Amino acid sequence: MILPIGPVHPALKEPLRLKLKTRGERVLEAEIDYGYVHRGIERVMKGKTWQKGIYLSERVCGICSYIHTQTFAETFERIAGERAPLRAQFLRVLTNELDRIQSHLLANSTYFKILEHETLFMYMLYLREPIMDAIELLTGNRVNMGWNVVGGVKMDVNQSHLDSILKIIQNLEDEYDRYVEMFDHGPMIGLRSHDVGKMTREEAIKARAVGPIGRASGLKHDLREQHHTYKDHFDWKVIWRKDQDNYARTMNRFDEITESIKLIKQVINNLPEGEVRKQINIPAGYAEWRNEAPRGEVTYMIETNGNLIKNVSIRTPSIMNIDACAKYMLKDVATVADALATYASVDPCIACTERVMIVDETGKGQEYVYPDYKIPYLKDKTED
Amino acid sequence: MLDSLKDIIRKSSIHACLVSTGGCNGCDIEIVALLSPRYDLEQYGIYFHNNPREADVILIAGAVTEQWREKLQRIYAKAPEPKVVVAIGNCPLSGDVFNQEGSSVYAPVSDFIPVDAEVSGCPPRPSEILAAILAVGPDAIAAKGRLAKGDQKAEASEEAELNQKAEASQKGGEEKV
Repeated sequence: MILPIGPVHPALKEPLRLKLKTRGERVLEAEIDYGYVHRGIERVMKGKTWQKGIYLSERVCGICSYIHTQTFAETFERIAGERAPLRAQFLRVLTNELDRIQSHLLANSTYFKILEHETLFMYMLYLREPIMDAIELLTGNRVNMGWNVVGGVKMDVNQSHLDSILKIIQNLEDEYDRYVEMFDHGPMIGLRSHDVGKMTREEAIKARAVGPIGRASGLKHDLREQHHTYKDHFDWKVIWRKDQDNYARTMNRFDEITESIKLIKQVINNLPEGEVRKQINIPAGYAEWRNEAPRGEVTYMIETNGNLIKNVSIRTPSIMNIDACAKYMLKDVATVADALATYASVDPCIACTERVMIVDETGKGQEYVYPDYKIPYLKDKTED
Repeated sequence: MLDSLKDIIRKSSIHACLVSTGGCNGCDIEIVALLSPRYDLEQYGIYFHNNPREADVILIAGAVTEQWREKLQRIYAKAPEPKVVVAIGNCPLSGDVFNQEGSSVYAPVSDFIPVDAEVSGCPPRPSEILAAILAVGPDAIAAKGRLAKGDQKAEASEEAELNQKAEASQKGGEEKV
């Protein structure tokens, strides 16, 4: 029997159609239909200046809106062959990590909500609100911040702002272990999470899983290792696990929050003096830049024609992760409830995925903006 | 008598359903933030269920994309009769930044279904969303419930009295507590 779920369903916050092929309660296969949130952002962006483009790039996705603007700005800086001032780079790290904390807390809260563990769901949202306050204090907005510009960030911060943020982060750190232990040692929630939705390391590589989903399956890959600011100025480590199930993915996010707290403390203690923004003249050219979003890697490929955007192509992590979920994790799951929990554990972000619409079942491959760039998951599908 | 009793109950138990018709997700997470202990949606008698078949209030977040043009009307039809639509954010009002040449959005949402309240902002703050639901939700649901019965004009004055009584009884109940 095929059980359709969505696009509007109590378990889903965002529109998506999940088709589960079931025998009794057991889920044999899953298929996912996209296309409910396709707005055509890339096409709108073409022929506009970066001032308009950065506004659009922020609205690719609301949850990880910050990293999209940072990647957009850094791509333009790369075309010009320059870097933002050091203070701006540090402030970008600060905002990025605050954004990562709120995104991971929201992802885990959704997972607990679908497991029907209302207590932890409420606790996660309770922890998240002060972080949203910190983001608002720093940037002026809760969700779409408008904080990055090409060549730096929009505003400088006061010491009083930094003190308040440090206090919020300190409060989070003090309370944090209690809530992680509730998940880690809770017998019922453990039973629902251990050994459900397994994806091995080989499967993760095959499906191009990225971010916490890949790292929970044993892929030690974090693009922050390659980023110049993180590499040169900060001391942190990549979190990864070997247990490959829903528990690992949730725990991986919890542990990454601890690392983010460390990074934020380092930023606030070592913030250099200087400018936060400099003028950059943009030549005609092409550049590609990758960054580690809360869900994995986000890639921007931009070709400019002087000041205008000639071509733009955005690749976000959720498309690979949701595909990995449908293909490998939702294979022979014991119950439908577990299948939904597994789906929630990959932290799906539909608004991210649906900026590119690829309708292709022949395997021929649609002509893409950059012919060298192959779409990995599409190739994978045709092989089977 | 029965109507006024129904009104009191309807006003204090509102089921809300979120239909994300193709936005950036920002409004959706602000609605999820409403569930948090800080805003606590449920203390106002609003239950966030996300099921159109049981919904009293339908929250629309997002410019209408190609796929939603027909489905939106179907979802609206599925909701039982006393229903209120609240459009959240700039997207359902005007399409926001997406409503430009080359995009595939069909804003505003009022072209497809009737909208009772609009909250602007990109995204609006959770408190604003909550205020909008509370401003339009309880009374409109009670009134629409009566309108659905027909011959509303004759009963209008009667109902106003009943309403006052209902409010008075509610206040009395609160004082006792």
